[in-house]
Amino acid sequence: MESDYDTQDASDTESMEDDFYSEETVVRDGEDEGEDEGKYGFSDNESDDSDVIVSERLQQNYTVLDETDIRQRQEDDIRSLSMVLSTSRVHACLLLRHFNWSVSKVHEEWFADEESVRRAVGLLGKQVEMPNVAELLCGICFEVHPRTAMSSAACGHPFCDSCWRGYIGTAVTNGPGCLMLRCPDPSCSAAIGQDMIDMLAIDEDKQKYSHYLLRSFIENNRKTKWCPAPGCEFAIDFVMGSGSYDVSCNCSHSFCWNCTEEAHRPVECSTVAKWILKNSAESENMNWILANSKPCPKCKRPIEKNQGCMHITCTPPCKHEFCWLCLGSWIEHGERTGGFYACNRYEAAKEEGVYDESERRREMAKNSLERYTHYYERWATNQRSRQKALAQLHNIQTEKLEKLSKIQCQPESQLKFIIEAMLQVVECRRVLKWTYAYGYYLPEHEHAKRQFFEYLQGEAEAGLERLHQCAEKELRVYLEAEVPMKEFADFRVKLAGLTSVTRNYFQNLVQALESGLEDVGPNRQTNSSKSSSSKNISSKNSPGNSPKSSTTTNNFDNYWYCERCTFANPSSNQACEMCEHRRH
Amino acid sequence: MANTNLPRRIIKETQRLLSEPAPGISASPSEDNMRYFNVMILGPTQSPFEGGVFKLELFLPEEYPMAAPKVRFLTKIYHPNIDKLGRICLDILKDKWSPALQIRTVLLSIQALLSAPNPDDPLSDNIAKHWKTNEAEAVETAKEWTRLYATGA
Ligand SMILES: [Zn+2]
Ligand SMILES: [Zn+2]
Ligand SMILES: [Zn+2]
Ligand SMILES: [Zn+2]
Ligand SMILES: [Zn+2]
Ligand SMILES: [Zn+2]
Ligand SMILES: [Zn+2]
Repeated sequence: MESDYDTQDASDTESMEDDFYSEETVVRDGEDEGEDEGKYGFSDNESDDSDVIVSERLQQNYTVLDETDIRQRQEDDIRSLSMVLSTSRVHACLLLRHFNWSVSKVHEEWFADEESVRRAVGLLGKQVEMPNVAELLCGICFEVHPRTAMSSAACGHPFCDSCWRGYIGTAVTNGPGCLMLRCPDPSCSAAIGQDMIDMLAIDEDKQKYSHYLLRSFIENNRKTKWCPAPGCEFAIDFVMGSGSYDVSCNCSHSFCWNCTEEAHRPVECSTVAKWILKNSAESENMNWILANSKPCPKCKRPIEKNQGCMHITCTPPCKHEFCWLCLGSWIEHGERTGGFYACNRYEAAKEEGVYDESERRREMAKNSLERYTHYYERWATNQRSRQKALAQLHNIQTEKLEKLSKIQCQPESQLKFIIEAMLQVVECRRVLKWTYAYGYYLPEHEHAKRQFFEYLQGEAEAGLERLHQCAEKELRVYLEAEVPMKEFADFRVKLAGLTSVTRNYFQNLVQALESGLEDVGPNRQTNSSKSSSSKNISSKNSPGNSPKSSTTTNNFDNYWYCERCTFANPSSNQACEMCEHRRH
Repeated sequence: MANTNLPRRIIKETQRLLSEPAPGISASPSEDNMRYFNVMILGPTQSPFEGGVFKLELFLPEEYPMAAPKVRFLTKIYHPNIDKLGRICLDILKDKWSPALQIRTVLLSIQALLSAPNPDDPLSDNIAKHWKTNEAEAVETAKEWTRLYATGA
C-alpha cells in the first residue's frame, strides 16, 4: 500500500488527511484497497473479449454507495469519533454534522479549542437536571405538568412532551435545518440531538430526521454526491484529483462528478455548460430538428427514424438509401462529409458573387445559425441514437439473447459479444455526441486542429456507424432465421472486430481531445499506436511507430489485423474487409 | 366562533398583556377574532420616534406558538428596518423564532428596534442608505414623519 499513498499524496491532501485520521481507528472499506491493476491506465487486452467493454472502468476512482453502505460509513465515522473524543454517540454525530462530516476537521478544531467548538455546536459539558419538584411550568404551552411528563435537553430547560413533539415536528417539516435544532429557550443554545428526537417525536418525524441525517452525510460532504438520475438513490464517493470526472452509477446513469451533467468526457465541464445554455437559448429554433421524421429525399414520404444508426433505407418500393443527418444519398457519402460512413464535417456554403452589405449580413446570420444547427443536429441525433441503443440493449438482455441462443444453438454465454458491442455503441454515441459540442467551440481559425479533430471524429464516427449498423441490422438476420446459420460464426468475428476497432478509434479521439489536440502533425499513426499500446508489453518487440498489426493476440489466431484500421480479417482474405487495405 | 378552540396559552398571554401591560406598549385582541391584536407602541424617548404613537397589527397564525406571530406597522414610519408596507425586519420574527418567546417579547423587541435602528440589516434600502451616509439628516426625516403621521394631530 506504500506506493498507493505516494501516488495519491500529491493530488489529494484533504482526502489523505481524512484517511490518515480514520486509519487510527477504522479502516474504511473499499477506499484504501486500491484497484492496483487499474491504476496503470488501459490494460489493452484484446485477447480477452469479456474485458473489452469500456476499458476506462478499470481505473475506477469512485465507489457507488447504496443506503446500507452510507449508513454503515456514517455509523463508522460517528462511532470512531466518539471513541477518540470519549464522547457520546449523539455528540459525535452533532460534531460531524457541524463540520460537514470531515473527521479530520473535527479533530483539528476540537483539539485546538474544545471550549469554542462546544459553544458553536451547543454541547454542554454537564447535564443539568430539571428542577426537582413534582410539577413544572412548560415554557411553551404555559401549563403546569407533572415532572414526569416533561423533558429537557442537557440544559435542564423543561418543556412538556407534547410541546416538544410540536417543536420537533415544526423543525422537521421546515427541512434539513432540524439537524441543527437547539433548545426552545431563546437564551439557550443547547443542541438537540437524535436521542431527543427518538425519545420525543412521532414516528414519521423520526424517520424524516433520520433521512435528513443520511442526506446530509452525502450532501455536506466534499467527497460524495447523489446520483442525479431521477429516482436513483445511489451516491458516489469520489477520489478527488484522480483524473476523469466521469462516473457510472449502478442505476446505469453515467454522469460527470464535477458538474453532475451527464457524462461528457472528453469535453470539459465549461464547454458543456456553455453548450447547454446555448441550446436553451436556441431551443425554439431547434424544435423542428427534434422532430423524429424527415421526408425521404427521393420520394418525399415522411420517414421515421426509429433505429439508432444513421443509414436509413426508405420503405419499399422506393428503398432509397440516405444519410439521416445530411439527407445525402448514402452511396455518395464520401470525402465531402468526412468519410464514407461519416457525416461530421461542417462547411458553410461558400457562394461566389457580389453581395451588398445587407445581403452579406443576412448571409452571415444564416450561416451562424446553420453552423450551430449542423452541430446541434448531430449532438441531438447521437443523443437519441444512444437512447435507442440503450433500449435495444435492454431488449437484447431481457429477451433477444435467449431467443438467439435457441435459434443459433449457442449457449448464452457465447453471445456476450453482442452485449459488448451494444455497450460500446452506447458509450461511443455519448462521446461522439459531446464531440459535437466540442467542435462547435473549436475556433475556426485553428485550421490544423480543426482538420485533425474532424479527421479523428470522422474516423470514430465511421467506425461507430459500421458497428451500430452491424449490431442492429445484421443481427436481425440471425434473429429471424429458422435454423442455425453457419454464417453466424463470421458475424461473431465481424461484430467483435468492429467493437474493438471502434473502441480504438474512440480512445484516440478521447485522448486527442483531452490533450487539447496538441498532437497535430504529420505522424497521426504515432498517435494511434501510442494511445492504444503504450503499456502493452508486446509493443516492445516492435520499436518506433509500429502499427498495431504487430501486436497480434492469441484469441483470433486465424485472423490478421489490418494495419490501417485494425480490423480482424479472416486469414483467407487478402484485403481488409473494412477498408480494403491490402494485407501486409 | 373562530375563538372556541383558542389554546390556553393564547388566553393566558392575552390576560397577562391586559393585566400587566409592558411600559409604552398596549395590545388588545379584536372582539371578533381573538388571534388578531390591535397594538400601540409609544416612540421611545431619546429616539427620533419620541412623541409618536405607532399603530401595529399582530396576528397569531394557526401554528402559533410553533410559528412566529405576524406583525406589521400600520402607521407610516421612517426606519431602515421597516418597509413602506410596515413589514419589520427582525430575526425573532423569522429564523430566530422560538415557541418559548411571547407576544410581549416580540413587542418589546420591536420597541427596542425603534431605539436602535440597524441600517446594516435593512429592509428598506433607500432609508438604510440615507441612514448610513447622513445619519443626522435621516434622523430629521424620521422625526418629521413621526410628527406628520404618528402624533394624531
Ligand atoms: Zn407544553
Ligand atoms: Zn435550554
Ligand atoms: Zn444512479
Ligand atoms: Zn462536467
Ligand atoms: Zn423514399
Ligand atoms: Zn450525411
Ligand atoms: Zn482495414
